[in-house]
Formats: sequence, C-alpha cells, structure tokens
Amino acid sequence: MAQTWQRPVARFGPYVAAALLFLILPALLPTHLQSVWSRLVIFAIFAISLDIIFGYAGLISLGHSAFFGVGGYANALLLTKLGFESFWIVTPIALAITVAVAALFGLIALRVTRMYFLLITFALSQMLVAVVNTWRDVTGGAEGLFRIPHPDLGISIAWNSISLYYFACISLIVCFFLMMLVVKSPFGLSLQGIRESEPRMRAMGYNVWLHKYIAYIISALFAGVAGIVFTYHNTVISPWNLGLEMSALALLICILGGRGTLWGPLIGAVVITLIEYFSSIYLPARWPLVLGGSFVLCVALLPKGIAPYLQRLWNRLIYGSAKN
Amino acid sequence: MLTALSGVSFGSILFLVASGFSLIFGVMGVLNLTHGVLYMVGAYIGWTLAIQHGHNFLLAIVAGGVGAAIIGLILDQGFLRRIHGMLAQQVLLTFGFIYVLTNLCLWYWGALPRAPFTAPTLDWSFPLAGLQYPFARVVITLIGIALAVFLWWLQSKTKFGMVIRAGMNDKEMTVGLGINYGIVAAAIFLLGCFLAGAAGVVGSQLFGAHLGLGQEILLFAVAVVVVGGLGSIPGALVGGLVTGLVVSFGTVLLPGLAMFFVYLVMIVVLMIRPTGILGRAITD
Amino acid sequence: MEVLRTENLCKDFGGVHALRNVCLCVEKGERLAIIGPNGAGKTTFFSMIDGQSKPTAGKIYLLGQEITRVPGHRRAHCGICRSFQVTSLFKALTVMENMLLALHGTKQSRFQILRPITAYDDFYSKPQALLESMGIWEKRNEPVRDIAYGEQRKLEIALGLASEPKLLLLDEPSTGLTSAERDDVASRVRNLGEDITVILSAHDMDLVFGVAQRIIVLHFGEIITMGTCEEIRNDPKTREIYLGEECTADA
Repeated sequence: MAQTWQRPVARFGPYVAAALLFLILPALLPTHLQSVWSRLVIFAIFAISLDIIFGYAGLISLGHSAFFGVGGYANALLLTKLGFESFWIVTPIALAITVAVAALFGLIALRVTRMYFLLITFALSQMLVAVVNTWRDVTGGAEGLFRIPHPDLGISIAWNSISLYYFACISLIVCFFLMMLVVKSPFGLSLQGIRESEPRMRAMGYNVWLHKYIAYIISALFAGVAGIVFTYHNTVISPWNLGLEMSALALLICILGGRGTLWGPLIGAVVITLIEYFSSIYLPARWPLVLGGSFVLCVALLPKGIAPYLQRLWNRLIYGSAKN
Repeated sequence: MLTALSGVSFGSILFLVASGFSLIFGVMGVLNLTHGVLYMVGAYIGWTLAIQHGHNFLLAIVAGGVGAAIIGLILDQGFLRRIHGMLAQQVLLTFGFIYVLTNLCLWYWGALPRAPFTAPTLDWSFPLAGLQYPFARVVITLIGIALAVFLWWLQSKTKFGMVIRAGMNDKEMTVGLGINYGIVAAAIFLLGCFLAGAAGVVGSQLFGAHLGLGQEILLFAVAVVVVGGLGSIPGALVGGLVTGLVVSFGTVLLPGLAMFFVYLVMIVVLMIRPTGILGRAITD
Repeated sequence: MEVLRTENLCKDFGGVHALRNVCLCVEKGERLAIIGPNGAGKTTFFSMIDGQSKPTAGKIYLLGQEITRVPGHRRAHCGICRSFQVTSLFKALTVMENMLLALHGTKQSRFQILRPITAYDDFYSKPQALLESMGIWEKRNEPVRDIAYGEQRKLEIALGLASEPKLLLLDEPSTGLTSAERDDVASRVRNLGEDITVILSAHDMDLVFGVAQRIIVLHFGEIITMGTCEEIRNDPKTREIYLGEECTADA
C-alpha cells in the first residue's frame, strides 16, 4: 500500500523533473553544454513529430528528414538570400513551404503501404538531397547555407547560447503542447485505430487515407519547426540535414524512448544526446560505432523502448499496482 | 559506346550486389540495409589480399565473399531471426550495423581510400572503333552474366531452388511439407552476403575501396531492386542494367542530376507498380 | 419497409465464382440468417454489403437508394455496421477507446484535432449503456488484448451497435463461444428492437434457430433455398448440403 505522501510526488514528479531538466538545469550549465542542450531540444521536437505518424498511426517513414530540411532550408534562404528579417514573417512562410512539400509527398507516398511506403519516403528524401546538392546557386550545394542570422523577434535580445536555448525550449513546449492536443483528440485516437486495424476503421466510417494524409502533413509541419529552430541555433544548414542518417536517428529516438507516447521520444532524445556527448569526450573517433551499437542494443534489448518501464513505475507509485 | 560499356559493366556490378539483396528480401522478407557495407568490407578484404599481399585475384574475390558471409552469419543468427516481421526494428538493426561496420573498417584500414585496382592479367585495354576499351570492364560484364546463369540454374534446375520458389510462394505450406525452411533461409542469407562481398572485390576494379562506399552502393542497390522487382533475380538484372546505363549516360550528359533521375524512376515505379517491373507481390 | 435489396449480385475472383446472381430482399426489423458450408460465399456477401469489396456485377439498394458504388468508408454513414468473423478489434487500445472510435466514426468530431476526446461527455453515456448490457462495462479500461475471448466477441457486437445502425451484419458472431455465451448473444440479438435489421451468418444452427425469422441457404455462391426455420429444418436440399449434420438433430 503506497504511502500517502508518495502519491503527490508520483503525480507531479514527472512534471517537476521535466521543469528541472529543461528550464532550470540549462541556466546552470557551462555554455558549451547549453549548446548541447539546445541540440537535444531540437532533435526532440523532430523525433516527437515523427512519433505522430510512426508511433500513433503506425507509418514507418525513412524520409522524415525531408521536412526538417525543407523547413530549415526555406528559413535559411528567406533570411540569407531573400533579405527577409522578421521571425514573425519568415517562419509562417517557411512552414507553408514545408506543408506544401508534405502535401505533395503525401499524395505520392500514401498510395502504398508498409515496406513500399518506407522505400518511397526514403527515395523522396534522397531525391531532395540530390536536388539540394546540385542546385548550388540556390542552396549552396554540398557546403550548404551559412551565416544564418539569429531570430529577429522584434524586441532586442542579446543572442547567446542561453537565450538561444530558451528560444528552442519555448518552441519545444509550444510544439509539445499542440502535438499533445492532436493525439488526445478524436483525430488522434483515430490514428491509433488505423495503426491497429485499417479495415475495422473503414467499416466504422473513417476515411483512412484522408486521416493518414492529414497526420502526415501535421507531422511534417512540426518537423519543419524543428528545422527552423535548428537553423537559428546552428547558423548553418547542409544537405546532411536532409538525409538518411537524420531520418534513421529520429526513428531510433522514437523507438528507444518508446513510441506512441509523446514523452517517450523526449526521453529518447535525452538519452541519445547524453550518449553522443559522453562519446565525444571519451571516444571521439568511435562515435559512429557507439551510435550504431545503440541502434543494435536498442533493438535487441529494448524493443519497446524505455517508456513502458517508466509507465509501469509511475502506475505503481500512483495506483499501487503496475497496471492502469 | 564507351559510355555504354561503362554503363553495362556498372550495371553488372549492381546486379551482383542487388541479386543478393533481392534474394534475401524475396526469401526472408528482410530489408537488409547492411548489404552495402558488406560490399565495402569485401572490397577492403580484397584489397588487403590482392594488393597488400599480392595474392591471386580470384582468391581475393572468394575471400571477400567469405568475409562478408561471416558477418552476415552473425547478423542473421545473432539478431535478425529474433525480429522476424518487425519492419521498424529490422531497419534500425541493419542501419546500426552500417555504422558499426563502417567504423570498424575505419579503425582497421584507416581513412585513406584505396584506388581502383585490378588483377595484372586483366589490366589492359583493346582498341575498337578508335577507342580503348578496358578489358577489365568486359570481364566484369561476363562475371555478371555468369552469375545470372548460375542463379537461374539454381532456381530452376535444382531441388534447392525449388524449395526457395515454393517458400516464396507459400511459406506455411513449405514448412508443413516437412522442409526445414529455417536452414534454407539461413543459407540464402549467407549466399546473398557472399555475393555482396565478392561483388565488392569485383567492383573494386572500378571503384576501389573507401568508407563512403557502403552507403553509396546501398542506395543504388535499393533503387535497382525496387525498379527491377523485390525478390526477382531477372528483375535485379534488368534493374541493374537500367540503373547502370542511366547513371553512366546521366553523368556524361547531366552531371549531378544522375542520382536525381535514379530516384525519380524509383518513385515512379513504386507508384505505378510497387512490386517492380518483374517482381512479385510479397505475401506478408 | 424494405431495408436491403440485392439484384443479381455476382463476385468473381479470377475464375472462381464466389457469388452468383444473389437476389434477396430484407424487411425492416427482420432477423435474417444466411447459412451454408464453408466457402459458400457468406463472408463475400457481407463484404459486398459493407463495401470492403466491389461486386463484379449486380446492384445493392439500401432503403431504396442504390449504394453499389458507395465506397466502403461511407457505408457506415448510410447506416450499415458489421461485426467480423475474425476478431478485428483494436487490441492495444482499451475497451472504452474501441467504443469511442466506433461512436466518432460517423460524426464530424472525428476530424477534430484540438479538442481532447475526453471533452465529449455525451459520448461516454452511450457506450456505458451498451457495455453494461453486454456485461463488459467493468473491463472498460482494460486493453482489449487482456480480456477474455468471449468478452472480445461481445465487444465486436457492441461496436457494431454503437453507431445505431439501420442494418447490422453479424459475421459468425458465436465463433469460439461456449453454449451459454452463445445463448446470451442469441437473446441479445432477439431483443434489439424493431428499428434494427439484422443479417447474421453462422454455422451454429442452434444460434440460427434461436434468432432467425427467415433463413437463406447459400451453396457455391448461389441461393439454394429460403424459408422459415421450420421449412429449412425439413428441407431435403439443405439436409443434403449439410450431410445430416446438426439441422437433423433435436428439432
């Protein structure tokens, strides 16, 4: 029988931990670590956006980086080559472009399922990589675009690693909140139904293709946000950010953290960033080995990710038993 | 014409790689992303034996294949058989192995790329219609044809091939007939990996050995197999030829956009006929 | 009042005639059973009605309107609901979530992305009544994969009833149930009321005789005969098809 004091701790625990980890801790870290934390947050937004189609709707995409890249490149182009300045003008335009690309890609990719969907999403993002690499005048080719300015929010802010971090963090909070609304809505539940049994959903009256299409676009939108925040933080964007490795990394973060829960990929992002950080200190040349090893170990040992364990722990603390 | 021979020999190498990839996919339903890196490991092993130690080139080809097959054995028996049917996990696992193996190659062989090398007996060209055609490329094409014939013989004329075809059509029935499909599948996986490694050595005559090779070849292999047909050997041949020619002519006519067209073709095929030009539907 | 009418419904699967010239008519409030050996075409027939597959020839009318070309996902909106022979529930979701999906399926709310599903209070009382009547209300927060098979079959039926259909198709509803559970299902179907028309397909003749007012016998995709329970029980052609199975047992 759980002690009465354990209940409030368990109930508020995760939120307090999150606040500590994301709001308070970064202010206490040295600057180079704040930069690492920003990266974590940006990758978290990216991976969580993938979770909407992967964890909830059950669509395995190997081309999600396309939208991260489109958002980032659009943002960078508007700022560096087209002379726009204000965050409030540039961001909606970049997002609109991302959504347009997603609308097109969705029409192509959603004609097929499972294995072929995986291959088509892969081919689509690789095609974008090829275009970006070749169209040197516009996209800077293999070197990418650089000297991207800091966000112009209309109020004067001293942009340094801590203020950039909070900029990213606020983006995460806003995105997380919106994505949470989406998955907790009737539409969000319908995505889970689609994942479990498409014929049943159709028999119940759902236009399965349309729901998948909308989810695909929403997911791409948030990936684009991650891309935009990334360009502001990194000041450089290159074709690598559009490629297979980015997409695979997002998939890993989702699976490692626990898919089908939005907070799972958040934890996955924390774990991967920590692994990346410590590996860069102790084994710098072996980072790909560590990353690849993480992929392999995750599949072998934690096929459902970390989230189920944490969920059971939380249930036990709150309800006194591991089940719901 | 030189471009055409270039395209055909490139296509032949693609066929060598893609046939293994296609076999593994058709028989086991596994998308083995590690396939490209196995090619690369084979190329490195071949270099070590043929150039560093001066051994027979044929021996190098076999050694490359065996090395790749050993890695394949670990991958399949150690990991893949536990995640049968779980697509996302398969993708992650094989992708992880790409990183691991690439980094291990970096560790052992260093970052310096190995220039294209060939056996001394093949290192000459013959003149035809005013241009010099490298004999090595012709040999590569012949090896591709030989493999195609071998695989065709294996599939149609042997009992082993019959079992494979039966399994691809109806796995439950095959198992029900008392055939140990597990061993067959494992053998196919090893064969596929061997082909990848051996292809790496054969292809090293054109591409040498370097660390980016793994991913590059993978991208091509996927395109070839999708266009030609997942699980179809003739498809891998057709796909390989088409891709090889597209890239060869594309590099000459529109440099930089060759890859773009490869992916475009791939997407069009996936939209119109997902099982590929000569492929068959996967009974999931 | 006629609820369903099919005219010369045919379905070919590359040379195999799954359905041949099926013509039938169902009145409102009727309880119709379709019986026949395996492969007779019962499930194919249901797939035509609920839109999962398209007929090769023939027409289907619902309440006088032709629905032959209406896509599968619109049929629920027309008032057709179905339970499946092989349980196709949302296994990872809870019983309640399964019901909620069934309820929102025909409503505009299914496209709502910004309002949480818990905000729809009126959508919770309806499932409560249904689940209680099926006896699975206590399990509402359990994932479906954790509840007993018999309870899953009852949930299948509850899902079919959730959106208040005009026509309910029950595909082998008693598969895998004990005889007590089967009788339970039979009495529920009998008591569904006159607003719902039920067509059920079954092998289980006890269930059929317990529920049906009219029976149609299918064999190799064709209607062999139709009639009341008495007529079918005594029909020589039907006996021949079933080779002296249950229908010649206790009368």
